[in-house]
Amino acid sequence: MSSISRKCVPFTPFDGDLSRATISIVTAAGVHRRDQEAFNIADELGDLTYRVIGEDTTSADLMVTHHHYDHADADEDINVVFPIDVLREFVEEGYIGGIARKHVGFMGYTMKLKDMYDSTAPAIADEIDKGSRADAVILTGG
Amino acid sequence: MRGIPTVLVTVSPDVSAQMRPPRALYPNGFKIGNPIGKPGMRELQRGVVKDALELLTQNTRPGQIVVMDYPAYGEYHEPVSVKVK
Repeated sequence: MSSISRKCVPFTPFDGDLSRATISIVTAAGVHRRDQEAFNIADELGDLTYRVIGEDTTSADLMVTHHHYDHADADEDINVVFPIDVLREFVEEGYIGGIARKHVGFMGYTMKLKDMYDSTAPAIADEIDKGSRADAVILTGG
Repeated sequence: MRGIPTVLVTVSPDVSAQMRPPRALYPNGFKIGNPIGKPGMRELQRGVVKDALELLTQNTRPGQIVVMDYPAYGEYHEPVSVKVK
């Protein structure tokens, strides 16, 4: 695994102003909307799919499906892994410019690491790149 | 594609360091499941998210994981260690 980014760190500069920046959240903590299909925790090889979470989603709309960490705290307050309410407060206060149109949740457990790296990760990056209007992304895990 | 700036908040710094993330924050001693803090502790959560966002504007060293202390968290959990080959 350590060979993946051994040659270079894929660093993208942030040359904006946070007070004008639109922020997206991408989390491996198994977060999805309650009305979306849950992640498949029955498959021992994991689940390579992801869920797009829209900008109007509230914390009450969200839940966690993940069986490789204790998400009791996230069940109580999703902000501990997906700080959507925190970002909303920051928008109201003018600390950040806005909340991106799209956020992404996936289950950061898979035995198919090559597929995660070759397929899921680029697909998630594409989701954010196209139509989210995100200037920067906060990444969290479980 | 130019790429999108990211900042990672991790509770497994050794594991994350293997991937050499462009920017990363490790809230010292936070347990797995609590990258942004504990439930209901909004001030703590705000502090962690704000520190993560500020890393976007700072001259961080790509691949380095920044460790910050949050005494309000009130616990210390030893992170998962990884033997790097």
